[in-house]
Amino acid sequence: MTFLQAMALAILQGISELFPVSSLGHTVLIPALLRWPVDRSDPTFLAFVVALHLGTAIALVVFYRKDWIRIASGLVRSVITGKLDEPGARLGWLLVAGTIPLAIAGVFLQHPVRAMFGSSALVAGFLILNGLVMFFGERLRRVERGPGSPPPKDIEGLSFRSAATIGLSQAAALFPGISRSGASIVTGLLHDLTHDDAARFSFLLATPAIGAASVLEIPRLFVPEAHGILVESAIGAVVAGVTAYGSVAFLTRYFHTNDLRPFGWYCLIFGGVCLVLALTKVIA
Amino acid sequence: MKPLAIVLAIVCFALAVAYWTGALQFGASHPGPHHLHAVLFAVLGVLALVWMRFAGARTT
Repeated sequence: MTFLQAMALAILQGISELFPVSSLGHTVLIPALLRWPVDRSDPTFLAFVVALHLGTAIALVVFYRKDWIRIASGLVRSVITGKLDEPGARLGWLLVAGTIPLAIAGVFLQHPVRAMFGSSALVAGFLILNGLVMFFGERLRRVERGPGSPPPKDIEGLSFRSAATIGLSQAAALFPGISRSGASIVTGLLHDLTHDDAARFSFLLATPAIGAASVLEIPRLFVPEAHGILVESAIGAVVAGVTAYGSVAFLTRYFHTNDLRPFGWYCLIFGGVCLVLALTKVIA
Repeated sequence: MKPLAIVLAIVCFALAVAYWTGALQFGASHPGPHHLHAVLFAVLGVLALVWMRFAGARTT
């Protein structure tokens, strides 16, 4: 992998981790399309990916720093007092409720699921499915939010069961091609959140998910094979972080007035093209 | 709810120890100790204790 390829992957990670288009799917399909020599099981590449995820997680913490300070202080105060009477504490425990199912699914299912689905054709197929899920979610929401329906909830109005369900939906992203943020935004919409709040809850949920996964993988950065890619990893982490910050800034504005359908079309078209190329053996 | 939280915390900590020492292999991809599984159950045990704290505060 050259320096330019590494930086391109960092930008790709920063964008696709938060856009509802599957970062994992894109890091399989784009190198296959461009015929980059990327060995996803190589310790050097794994160390590089850990650095990119760390950069993305730090960008999310920085973007939502005011929320995280409010959440952290609320969580501590709620444990001391044993009460959930402030919004920061409630939001914090909703995020904990949403993170538990993903953590359990990730620890128990990540290896078997990833081992089953490595080919570009399957990843492209899942990307198409990801697009269909977004269209289905938007359609179902329009039916549910018809005239006379109650006003949408804000995040703090979610039940813990709803938060856990939204968190569990993120586990679908263990299948490369399914987007974590796409699945959680769709599930949030189906639990009466606005697009705005569904996206915000998804990005807040992403921080512990990406952060914990990165922190647990930090030892990979210190294996001897990673020393040769230290500069690329450090610069890649910064590039992925800056790109992720820009992505979340864009998406939070985008979801004020827009919905998931453009991303659905993108997944259908890009996934369809990749599926045809994979089935005709143009890409591996 | 408080007794349930206590039982859950004990079960989680026991599972954490079992995974850490390699005594439990359920859902693991390779033989030996499973530190990631152990950390997960230790965190779940702590969360069960926090739940116990909330349950205790509500009943008093």
